[in-house]
Amino acid sequence: MQRELLEQLHSVKTMSIVGMCKNAGKTTVLNWLLHHSGRERILGLTSIGRDGESTDVVTGTEKPSIFVPAGTLIATAKDMLRLGDITLEVLMTTGIPTPVGEVVIVRARSDGYVQLAGPSITTQLKTVSRHFFDLGADQSIIDGALGRKSLGARAVAEGVILCTGASYHMSMEKVVADTVNIYRIMNIPRAATLPEEVPGTLADALKKNGEALVGGALTDSMVVPLLRSGVLRRGRLVVKDPSKVLLSTDTLDKLATRQVALETVEAARTLCVTINPVSAYGWRFDKDAFMRAMSEAVDAPVINVKEELA
Amino acid sequence: MITVSFDDKVKIGLQYVLENLHGCSPFGQERIRHLRFYAPEERAALETELGNVERAAAAAAELKDVYDRAMLVLCQMKDIRTSLRRCAEGEMPDHVELFEIKGYLQRLESLIPLLAQMDEKVHLDGVAFHDPAPALAILDPENTRSRGFYIPDGATAKLREIRHAKKQVEEQLYHARTDAEREDLRMKRTRICAEEDSEEMKVRRAMGAALAPLVPDLLADADTAGRLDFLIQKALFAVRCGGVRPELTDTALELEDMVNPELVDLLAEKGRRFVPVSIALDRGAAVITGANMGGKSVAMKTVALNVLLLHAGFLPCAKRAKMPLFHSVKMLFDDLQSIQSGLSGFGSEIVHFQKALDEVEQGYSLFLLDEFARGTNPDEGAVIVQAVTRYLNDVNAVSVLTTHYDKVAEHARIHYQIIGLRDVDPERIRAELAATSEDGVAVIARHMNYGLYRVEGKADCPRDALNICRMLSLKPEILERIEQSY
Repeated sequence: MQRELLEQLHSVKTMSIVGMCKNAGKTTVLNWLLHHSGRERILGLTSIGRDGESTDVVTGTEKPSIFVPAGTLIATAKDMLRLGDITLEVLMTTGIPTPVGEVVIVRARSDGYVQLAGPSITTQLKTVSRHFFDLGADQSIIDGALGRKSLGARAVAEGVILCTGASYHMSMEKVVADTVNIYRIMNIPRAATLPEEVPGTLADALKKNGEALVGGALTDSMVVPLLRSGVLRRGRLVVKDPSKVLLSTDTLDKLATRQVALETVEAARTLCVTINPVSAYGWRFDKDAFMRAMSEAVDAPVINVKEELA
Repeated sequence: MITVSFDDKVKIGLQYVLENLHGCSPFGQERIRHLRFYAPEERAALETELGNVERAAAAAAELKDVYDRAMLVLCQMKDIRTSLRRCAEGEMPDHVELFEIKGYLQRLESLIPLLAQMDEKVHLDGVAFHDPAPALAILDPENTRSRGFYIPDGATAKLREIRHAKKQVEEQLYHARTDAEREDLRMKRTRICAEEDSEEMKVRRAMGAALAPLVPDLLADADTAGRLDFLIQKALFAVRCGGVRPELTDTALELEDMVNPELVDLLAEKGRRFVPVSIALDRGAAVITGANMGGKSVAMKTVALNVLLLHAGFLPCAKRAKMPLFHSVKMLFDDLQSIQSGLSGFGSEIVHFQKALDEVEQGYSLFLLDEFARGTNPDEGAVIVQAVTRYLNDVNAVSVLTTHYDKVAEHARIHYQIIGLRDVDPERIRAELAATSEDGVAVIARHMNYGLYRVEGKADCPRDALNICRMLSLKPEILERIEQSY
């Protein structure tokens, strides 16, 4: 299993690890990957901004939890460097500002803990990835965002690991349903061709060509009337990237029934879904039931971080 | 001392010139942003700068590749002056600061052979860098010449020991089987990391202390890099806009075929051409008169621009130039607003005039008055401007006034007039107007000659207004009456 998973994860040059919530197992997956492939391959590591753990950043009390092997390239804000304990080699400054200092790229000359606070803008993340490859990296890994924001990951990475777990909600059904909703949106296929831009409303474009390019967000209140009027049947809708899709599971299902193709300009695929049956807030799910429910709902491999990656 | 407000820089086209320079290094950009004007006492330094710019401009085609490469290196320089000063004050630099200082020294190292190549063709007076090798040796003790910054294991014997121990523990940790084993090794590792941190701190402190005595030279080099950066930009500007090395005089200001780059570009966009302006001025008042189509102010602003360019160490945009150095340059344009003071336009003009005059009377100055006292009634305005002109004749300054008012020119030492429609046959234009549907005013503007000519003795009453009336076929009955009154 582990070998297959590694092969799967090595199949892309850029990868983003995103989570449904905190304690979904993002860091466990990242550390597992660093431990198992960081010695053979040069990994470039950064994050989208700084998620969550701001208290540790301010107080600096908690031990940073990402442990990298020697040789890893890290892009993080200058002020984060003193919170890690790797032996540092500063390779370049990027000119990208963050609230905790300019993003700098360093090479770990020893194993050790690092704190990540990378760029928060898509184009800057792409720039950092490019620097990684210029500096000799084999793969670029982005510690991504949580919840809906994680959909942006598709714009910066070819492959995505989606982490979910009991910490998201007490009801396992809800955890599975919401994860599947994100999963479906994240895996919207890439558009082979772009629809012609037509002035006027979406309905005008659909009537004319049977397909339309959606400029901004795609919401239920835009789609439901189109479904009712029938112009959408067998039509095609193309959005810029999955984060622009704000549709409920119900509406997504209706689109599928009416044979409406929903596509995006950006391309990426979900490499695997990880689950953590133990919540940080006390409760836990039956691990086998959780695994079964998740595996049935998605076509990607599902991995239990508590067992297979421990 | 010469100071120029941002508004005035915009009005005379100096801001346009500055914005079209491409300062590469933070030090060069700073020099462009905070433009400094040489004072008359700094004549020798200005001559040196002008000589450098003139030679650098003359060799620009031959040295294009060298300039391009130097600009590329300058672009990569970062402003490390704060870090250097911190070292000089005995503070401990962090890893990124040491990285940036090292990077700066490496850029400096690659700039030196480029400067030598320039020097071979054109000697650049007073532009030289210190050898960065001693400072680089501090930051790269093992002479790896890598771009990155890393405190090597061999920095101290103790650090070598600590790093060795760290590596061993990490290797054990990687292969550890049980949690208990791991926990134990992690504790051990934490202790070693703390030791490493404190030993590295000592090394960084020692590097800062070793750099401290070199800081004055390194700061001077940053300044020199800025100077070289600005110098290349001045040279390229001179090539672009036809700069000339002026002969420095004591009082006389003579500019032959000078241009204003902003207007050159603006007119070129509209498919028209800027007519170069020639003017010869000296101590005392000069008056520019002429048709009301903007030529007067343009001439005056172009004088101001070129005088200020010279004071900033640029070659003025002219074919030939003889120029003095001024204690101050003051200008009052006709669009003065004084909303804050609540005074009328005229009142505020007088207030500004007084203030400017005080400054002008401190030393040999250039004083420019555009349509002075225009805001009051023509009879009184004329009397006031005549009096001001007579007064300025005796002030130790080159004063230039543009005016519409009657009988001002005869009080001035020098009188210039816009050529305007002087040499144009009104009948020809009338014929042209009849044959086209084009706007009459545009046709006339095309025939306007914005050049200046010097009027000797008493000038005839200008007839441009009458000519325009004729060209535009004003009612003959009215024309007749106008002609009778001339």
